[in-house]
Amino acid sequence: MHLQAKDYLQRIQQFSVPQRVRILNVCGGHERSITHAGLRSLLPKAIELVPGPGCPVCVCPEVDIRLALALALHEGVLLAAFGDMLRVPINAESGEIRSLAQAKAQGAAIVPLASPQEAVALARQHPHRQVVFFAAGFETTMAPVAAMLAEGVPDNLAVLLSGRLTWPAVARLLDTQASAFDALIAPGHVATVMGAREWNFVSEQYQIACAVAGFTPDSLLAAVYSVLRQRLSQPPRCFVDNCYARAVSESGNLQAQRCLDQVFEVIDSQWRGIGVLPASGFALRPAYQAHDARLIFATQQRAIAQAAPQDMPPGCACAEVLLGQRYPDQCPLYGRRCTPHTPVGPCMVSDEGACQIWWASGQHAA
Amino acid sequence: MCLAIPMQVVEIDGYNARCEAKGISRDVSLFLLQGEPIIPGDHVIVHVGYAIQKISAEEARSAWELYDAIL
Repeated sequence: MHLQAKDYLQRIQQFSVPQRVRILNVCGGHERSITHAGLRSLLPKAIELVPGPGCPVCVCPEVDIRLALALALHEGVLLAAFGDMLRVPINAESGEIRSLAQAKAQGAAIVPLASPQEAVALARQHPHRQVVFFAAGFETTMAPVAAMLAEGVPDNLAVLLSGRLTWPAVARLLDTQASAFDALIAPGHVATVMGAREWNFVSEQYQIACAVAGFTPDSLLAAVYSVLRQRLSQPPRCFVDNCYARAVSESGNLQAQRCLDQVFEVIDSQWRGIGVLPASGFALRPAYQAHDARLIFATQQRAIAQAAPQDMPPGCACAEVLLGQRYPDQCPLYGRRCTPHTPVGPCMVSDEGACQIWWASGQHAA
Repeated sequence: MCLAIPMQVVEIDGYNARCEAKGISRDVSLFLLQGEPIIPGDHVIVHVGYAIQKISAEEARSAWELYDAIL
């Protein structure tokens, strides 16, 4: 029997929820569906759905954006990036260029793209130019980037890789503020690639309820129902439930995982607003170093890293929003100085950013 | 950015597949599904131009009914 959103809602409402239950999500797509469908207002008050570090563009370190800007502005590079990276602002003096979109408006060669294959096509169209593909993303997106490199790319195409693994950020949140969360809704398309089993540590190590969800209200409410049931059973019985079985298997897409492992090694990485997380990012393996923009432009990267740029803009609460410590409308800038039209922090820019999602759905009261 | 949509495979040439959804046609790479038998008519979940999972026709249809409601 296929249950629908209203069936799950009914079941959720039948629970007696004695105290606050905070359910973390780590996927911008989940947050968008939750917010746009208005799920929070349909759930009992004690149940909180908390957006966390679910936006790869938001956690992309400022040094990487500065390097991309420098390459496009000063090194004659043709820079390609996923579209939602273009408007992400860095801290810059007023009057200085603050985003790739501004650099593009001033004539820098910057191309938004929707697929790694477009980067390959761009490099073929411009055989005499150095093309750099600035690639931020989680595992779901990194697998296609790895596939692109594994399949072979033109000599003039390099990758400025800013990929991240999602689970280390969840592990950090649970290590440092375990009591803040009672359950996790695990990201559906990350799990499609990496397998539901990647999230077993959540229930096994932290005794936190977990369910993998898809992106529809049905699947998200099934996950909410599942984690509540896990949490409220006596004694609590935590495991990783799969509420997105149409796409997610226990072990995931093994070919994609082999491809990731063949092309990338896993390294310690900086997350904007969060800090360095061990084994949480990707770097190109030596066999692909001819296409590694960080090696080709090592001098520029060193210079930018030494200038030690700031992390989040002053007054901006994006860091706390990414850590699940504040809701977007609890930021003093939300809706005042910071709107999608005049973004201060990255969470107000990306389609995956919690602030942008809340604002776009009409939650304007700060 | 992890948004992925179900599409139907129309034509296959090596790792490249012509896929359709909602009247829109796209070139999709099957590189991440190599080893998986895929023929025209099959359904796949597509993210940034790459098929990341094969799904049944029924699953694709119910996914689209739901996506139509939220997109």
